[in-house]
Amino acid sequence: MHRTIASLPFAPSVKMKLTRAGFDTCADLKDLRPLQLCKEAGVSQEEALEVLQTLRSDDGVGVVSHVGVASVVRGGLTALQLLQKEHALGDIITFCSALDSALGGGVPVGKTTEVCGAPGVGKTQLCLQLAVDVQIPVCFGGRGGQVLYIDTEGSFLVQRAADMAQAAVEHCRLVTQDDEQKAALKDFTVENILSRLSLVRCHDYVELLAHCYLLPDLLTKHSEVQLVVIDSIAFPFRHDFDDFSQRTRLLNGLAQQFIQLATEHNVAVVLTNQMTTKVWNGQSKLIPALGESWGHAATQRLILHWEGTQRLASIYKSPSQMEATVPYRITEDGFRDMAPPPFSTALPTSSGPTRSDSQSQQSKRPRMEPRPSS
Amino acid sequence: MHNKKLTRAGIDSLICERLKHHHVETCEDLLSLTPLEVMRLAGQSHCHSLQLLRTVSVACAPKIITAQQLWLQRKDLCFSTSLQELDRLLHGGLPRATITEVAGPSGCGKSQLCMMLSVLATLPRSMGGLDSGVIYIDTESAFSAERLLEIAQSRFPDYFSVPERLLETAGRVHLFKELTCQEVLTRVDQLEEDIISCRAGLVILDSVASVVRKEFDTSLSGNLTHRSNLLGRQAATLKYLAQEFRIPVVVTNQITTQLGERVPSSSSLSRRRSSVEGAGGEGSGYVTAALGNTWSHNVNTRLIVQYVDSRLRQIVIAKSPVAPFAVLNYTVQREGIRLEGNASQEMMSAQGTDPGLQPIRVRTGFDYRLTGAVAMTPMTPATTTTTTAGGRYDNTGV
Repeated sequence: MHRTIASLPFAPSVKMKLTRAGFDTCADLKDLRPLQLCKEAGVSQEEALEVLQTLRSDDGVGVVSHVGVASVVRGGLTALQLLQKEHALGDIITFCSALDSALGGGVPVGKTTEVCGAPGVGKTQLCLQLAVDVQIPVCFGGRGGQVLYIDTEGSFLVQRAADMAQAAVEHCRLVTQDDEQKAALKDFTVENILSRLSLVRCHDYVELLAHCYLLPDLLTKHSEVQLVVIDSIAFPFRHDFDDFSQRTRLLNGLAQQFIQLATEHNVAVVLTNQMTTKVWNGQSKLIPALGESWGHAATQRLILHWEGTQRLASIYKSPSQMEATVPYRITEDGFRDMAPPPFSTALPTSSGPTRSDSQSQQSKRPRMEPRPSS
Repeated sequence: MHNKKLTRAGIDSLICERLKHHHVETCEDLLSLTPLEVMRLAGQSHCHSLQLLRTVSVACAPKIITAQQLWLQRKDLCFSTSLQELDRLLHGGLPRATITEVAGPSGCGKSQLCMMLSVLATLPRSMGGLDSGVIYIDTESAFSAERLLEIAQSRFPDYFSVPERLLETAGRVHLFKELTCQEVLTRVDQLEEDIISCRAGLVILDSVASVVRKEFDTSLSGNLTHRSNLLGRQAATLKYLAQEFRIPVVVTNQITTQLGERVPSSSSLSRRRSSVEGAGGEGSGYVTAALGNTWSHNVNTRLIVQYVDSRLRQIVIAKSPVAPFAVLNYTVQREGIRLEGNASQEMMSAQGTDPGLQPIRVRTGFDYRLTGAVAMTPMTPATTTTTTAGGRYDNTGV
């Protein structure tokens, strides 16, 4: 009610005319009719109408944005509601059960995850694996969704995606038990998987920014998309910029947009980052690229790195999971565990017990080996 | 794309004028601003500014296709290298629309491989070629037209028995000699027009490292960033051209010595010894591909060539989106590269290591024995210059 005119989202010329006419806060504008405002402030009729309509719709949500207490006010959520929502959203499995356990089920839908790593360690492979895994039908433990893959580096090769899709289809075929799964399997073929994988190739940061502005409309139109992959966010931003502050600003803007996308449209956003060499006290270390401020951008951060010839995945930053390091390997079928996990019906242990427990009761999780018929 | 003028992006001309006063003329300028800045500069309300940004985005944003559409064109996804095992591992050959890097010590065969690929690209499609021109940017003066024709005739003797075909092949390879960083950058920036006029199906840059390394002294502060930016820009332009024209781009790289603290753990070194013997295994340092970690990110595929002994060499697939880490033996012959000695399959594994740190074997010995048809009698000192009873020292075979 006491919000000043200057803070409202109108055109600068309109705001100037209103303040010059003596209006300081929203309370002054209440109960005015458009024609009256038009005459008093000297704005056009359309502008006057826009001002009054915005004020009227602002009234409803204005209170919530100023007051911090969320639960009793319209538009807020309680923690219980959030818990239920997160259970419903679920995770996207990676087919590496060690990594899935460490992540508490998989890559969470509704959050942004960043994957950093040295060249050749498997970031693109992980992204491709997730792009296939999100399409696994729900009765097999997947999400049954579609994926939008934004490629800025040119490392998306459809042959590899087809191989991984084939391996996933094979795996599901081996664990099929009941009729519902058999029916779902008919739709789960390599051609269908590839046709549900939308691909965009951005050559520079301008195309990436342009595409990200259009993403909200795209995701509203195609609500079956549950995963957005950007591989990689680092490449377009690492060489075109002499002005680092502009780069930081643009990256922060993008980070905000991704978080908004993830929460409003219930998609998982996966970003890939590169590593850069930092020379420090005479020693050189590899750290994630794009600077320190970018570290705050994603909700969860995974770092993939080499230890000799062994590939390791570390959870570097997560608000809900413990820091952990697990080994993995890349086979011709895709992103997999180091060795086949021991065959058991026990649930994968994780630091978020309630979530995975209730999840497994609701859906069947794909196992690495087919269950013997008994 | 980003040079597109706002006037052509479907924006109201009045707003374009207003933005022009603030030096916002192209789509790039507008999209780099925050919505609040757009409000201020264009004099629009918040939701109109967002709409403005969306309109410009529609004008700039790339098309969305499905992977299925790419899959339907899968016959055309790769450029076959005519080395069967390598093609099999790479799922068809060098992938188009990507950058493939060949790194290795001097004299190992990188330029030979490039010349062989040039010949292959000019062949008709029925023979596995691209039936197109080749753009060869040479910074080390390693290209030899005679060698190109020798490879062509030895590799495909039946096809090239007709002399006109030989001339046609030679005429399709366009050579550009660039000797400084700036020249290379200019050439790469103009490459789009050259590709169209030469009808090129393959671009080779041999090598990307030589000009950069002689002009940038990385011990000086600021030079490392400057060099990385330059290489990044080159890589971005090459990838854009590769993607737009759907052609493969091959670059070659040199080697550098990594010292002390970056040596990987000894257990991994010993594991690697079984397949590829480590070079400076004593712990003093080891040899890897040059141009650093950032450049390793920029290339899509990295093939490392290295020595085994004086005759046999190896190609290592160090980084590839489709192929596992693999090692293949080869020799350099008259017809270019010949894979041999690859009978055992155990050279392939799911292991590998950081392609920026993969140790490379350099040449440790040279065979100084006389080659060719020379009698093994000791030489008589030549008293007169007319008698040439001594041996011939030039290499006749290889």
